Amino acid sequence: MDEELRETIDQTFGEVFETMFFTFLDPMEELPSRAELVLDDAYVEAVIAYHGPRPGRFFLYLPYRLARNITMNFLGVDEDGVSDEQALDTAKETANMAVGSLLGRLDPEGTLKLHIPESRMMDGLPADELLANPGLRLFNTDFGLLWVVYEG
Amino acid sequence: MAFNILVADDSGTMRAVIKKTVEMSGVPVGRFFDAENGQEALGILENNWIDVILSDINMPVMGGMELLQEVNRNEDFRRIPLIFITTESSEARMDEARRLGVAGYVKKPFMPETIKKMLYEVLEKAYQHKAEEAPAAPADDDMDF
Repeated sequence: MDEELRETIDQTFGEVFETMFFTFLDPMEELPSRAELVLDDAYVEAVIAYHGPRPGRFFLYLPYRLARNITMNFLGVDEDGVSDEQALDTAKETANMAVGSLLGRLDPEGTLKLHIPESRMMDGLPADELLANPGLRLFNTDFGLLWVVYEG
Repeated sequence: MAFNILVADDSGTMRAVIKKTVEMSGVPVGRFFDAENGQEALGILENNWIDVILSDINMPVMGGMELLQEVNRNEDFRRIPLIFITTESSEARMDEARRLGVAGYVKKPFMPETIKKMLYEVLEKAYQHKAEEAPAAPADDDMDF
């Protein structure tokens, strides 16, 4: 991943989480080894693609507890007031906002068009596969690691 | 005088957040209407009096740009100001929206104050006689969630 893209990912994802969810992201400068990782049992995957001269897509993997927490903060409700459907919707909207903002900076001419995001619940995470992906960016949060994978 | 507000966004949580932001802005709201896409929004416009539309751009079935074009084509609807609240933030997309006659443009992620300011500007311009009867905009620090 080139430096400009990495910095723009850090900025745009950080702005979305801070502005909309009052959650701070701390980018990890070095990837941890598989042995150092403590994985959650459940995750929410959100995917958003874009097409144009340089098509690509982003995958977000949020620990379920992080997805629930940002949904609580987004809606201004307590934990009992958050459904799984809302957590999935918030994950989709997170991908939409972060990647839309990112494309606005990297593609001011607007040649790249966003698709509609999708999301799903996942039991566990294919950590080995993700750690080997050159498009991986990891962020520490108070509710586990946020995984962002760029494919382009 | 209260305003009827149509919120078009395919995300239910985003619609809820936008409605809450508008409620806290101090704008007098008669009724909120929800649409998941532009086509649903047009159906609501056909059957209800709407004073302002807050719409996303990137939606399935019918997106916000197409909705704006349809609103402008219809003699009954073209009086209604439309504000985009969207992740589409390239200069090219904003220029296209301006060419199509959008009343305002708010980029996601947004601060609640940004929506409040845009809404007051647009409502005052479109409905000066109504806005004068409405309470003055509260200070920005009244917008804390």
